[in-house]
Amino acid sequence: MLLAASAAGVARALLRASLLLSLPIAISVVLVSVFTRPGTTVLFTIGPFDATVEGVDFAAQTLVRLLAISLSIGLFILTTEARAFVFDLERRGVPPRFTFVALATIEAVPTLVERAATIAESQRARGLDTEGSVRARLRGLLPLVGPAVITSLTDVEERSLALESRAFSRPGRRHLLWSMPDSAGERVLRAVLVLALAAAVVARVAGLSLPVVG
Amino acid sequence: MLRLSGVSYRYPGYANPVLHDITLELAPGEIVGVVGANESGKSTLCLVASGLAPGSIGGQLTSGTVDIDGRPTTGRPLHELATEVGIGFQNPATQLSAVAGSVFEEVALGPMDLGLPAHETVARTKAALATLGIEELAERAPRRLSGGQGQLVVLAALLAMRPPYLVLDEPTAQLDPEGTRLVGEALRRLAETGTGLLVAEHKTDLLADVCERVVVLDRGRLVAEGPTGDVLADPALEGYGVEPPSAIRLERALIARGLDPEVVRW
Amino acid sequence: MTRLSLERVGFVYPDGTRALEGVDLDVEPGASVAIIGQNGSGKSTLVRHLNGLLRPTEGRVLHDGLDTAGRRTAAMASVVGIAFQDPGRQIFARRIRDEVAFGPRILGRSPERVAASVSEALELVGLTDVADQNPYDIGYSRRKLLALASVYAMETPVVVLDEPTTGQDARGMRRVGALVGTLIDAGRTVIAISHDMRFVAETFGRIVVMERGRIALDGSAAQVFAEDSWPTLASTFIEPPLPARLGARLGLGSTPTDRAFLEAIAARSGS
Repeated sequence: MLLAASAAGVARALLRASLLLSLPIAISVVLVSVFTRPGTTVLFTIGPFDATVEGVDFAAQTLVRLLAISLSIGLFILTTEARAFVFDLERRGVPPRFTFVALATIEAVPTLVERAATIAESQRARGLDTEGSVRARLRGLLPLVGPAVITSLTDVEERSLALESRAFSRPGRRHLLWSMPDSAGERVLRAVLVLALAAAVVARVAGLSLPVVG
Repeated sequence: MLRLSGVSYRYPGYANPVLHDITLELAPGEIVGVVGANESGKSTLCLVASGLAPGSIGGQLTSGTVDIDGRPTTGRPLHELATEVGIGFQNPATQLSAVAGSVFEEVALGPMDLGLPAHETVARTKAALATLGIEELAERAPRRLSGGQGQLVVLAALLAMRPPYLVLDEPTAQLDPEGTRLVGEALRRLAETGTGLLVAEHKTDLLADVCERVVVLDRGRLVAEGPTGDVLADPALEGYGVEPPSAIRLERALIARGLDPEVVRW
Repeated sequence: MTRLSLERVGFVYPDGTRALEGVDLDVEPGASVAIIGQNGSGKSTLVRHLNGLLRPTEGRVLHDGLDTAGRRTAAMASVVGIAFQDPGRQIFARRIRDEVAFGPRILGRSPERVAASVSEALELVGLTDVADQNPYDIGYSRRKLLALASVYAMETPVVVLDEPTTGQDARGMRRVGALVGTLIDAGRTVIAISHDMRFVAETFGRIVVMERGRIALDGSAAQVFAEDSWPTLASTFIEPPLPARLGARLGLGSTPTDRAFLEAIAARSGS
């Protein structure tokens, strides 16, 4: 996985992101499983807690899995442009409505952030204390959340009318203007990976114990 | 011809119609202005003329018909109507699809939705951008445009559907003077390409500049209609809550003081 | 009453965009000032400095000669009230009356005083008869008036209105005009950002023209819309109001309002 990442030139970013994301979970998993997992071979004792070999073993396994998951998600996000991915899904037969929702969700984040900022500005200009004590902030929640919810709804209403004028509700496929370059090498690699995945699943179901690998 | 004949319209959940017995015609290449006080029914008229009311938002035409070239619009699928009449609103931010990464994609969205082949979509998109003179915006992110630029992109996106008629509800309300000027010019260009435009506006100075005809709404009824110069100079206009254009206002003030109104005409 | 001063204020957004540069502005208590200029010229950035929503990158913002650095916006809101352009960004209450009461309540006014200022504000913008309705039962233009009333009722010595006339019809324009007039008569400072040149020329004693983060012109309507200012106005895409253009063409001097134009032409006809 790291090899693939360094090929894409994102190894450093990938390591940082997945460590940041998985570190808090990893620490708690290690603590909980090392000390609470029932086992027979006690390594050492802290207060009422016994650290067992079984616990350490379980923690190690979980850690590797966690790392595998976070590394693969991280690699996907860092190397795939979301828009290109969504368009490719549509090209492969996913309905345009799904594509729209997916893209709208991606684009909604910066819009929401901007909206939240202007609402906070408006209410602070009316004396709302968003910098003060927790109590003051809690009291100020409705004036901040209210306009965000209401304007989101009215915006959706307006946008859906505007989209009707652009034939959004037409059923059926669209001809996309973009397609992903897809080389023979990539296709072979994809097929190999799918086969490997299938093999791993079969092996697992058949009860063979494989070492956990990323 | 886009024609409303004796149209009354009631919103869903309301007991009474908000538009009463409206008769109105819009020819290709013509710009017709709609004026009236706020809540006089201008926006509703726009929705009804575009077929979105009742088509998308429900409610009911309690009398009359809306038809395009003799074919009633009620009951027709909205994606089909979109190629015959488009509608624009005042806020560019809520009209842009929010899914396009560039202005080009934004304008291409409609033709793509129509299921057109890619080369046709590209051709239409380029043509629409060219008609509005905004080719240089093609690669820009729609979210980063100024209000005026945003409205031009909205117009281009509607234009790419090639509808013979466009209905615009206060297209310049949220724009600065430069944005208003740009949209004003765009309206003229669209009319020159043969598009018929129905434009609801408070800015009577703008309407005086671009419209051939103006209609006046008051409490859901069409109370005046005629050539722009006549309607906007009608002393009854202020009674309907509409500010006359600056030139007419000054002329009147001059006459009221016994001065020569000729100086205002140039 | 509060004197506002900006001393050599510069502001750069975190993304590196410079929005203000070397802005010097002194607003006396009770003054009425319109700020005009193209979108992106720095008008909104400037007014956000008046109550600390933005802090200057360079220079100082003073209230009555005291530097506002370090004062919280929530505290400055009792001095400078701002009604922003989009009413949707502030309206949250279920009743129009409660929306208007939000500001004065949070500033800690007594219930009697809140009730009085709310009634006065609603009356001024013509919303008294719908005071118990939901803000979303009325149309956009009246919701906009509601937002103005909400800031008016805070009784701050300085009131800032961002595009108060957007979407208003003739009657709405008169109401906005009346609100500004009442503020001026009460000796409160009014600062408005506007694209409506007629409203600006007829309503405000002083007009500040912004261009690319700097103050390009600053003076009375007669000065700012005088013929020798036109090149500067044109560079920021502002067209002077019709009476100003007519007055210049007829050699009447600077006549930015209908009234100034009519008086000038009557004076010439009489002589």
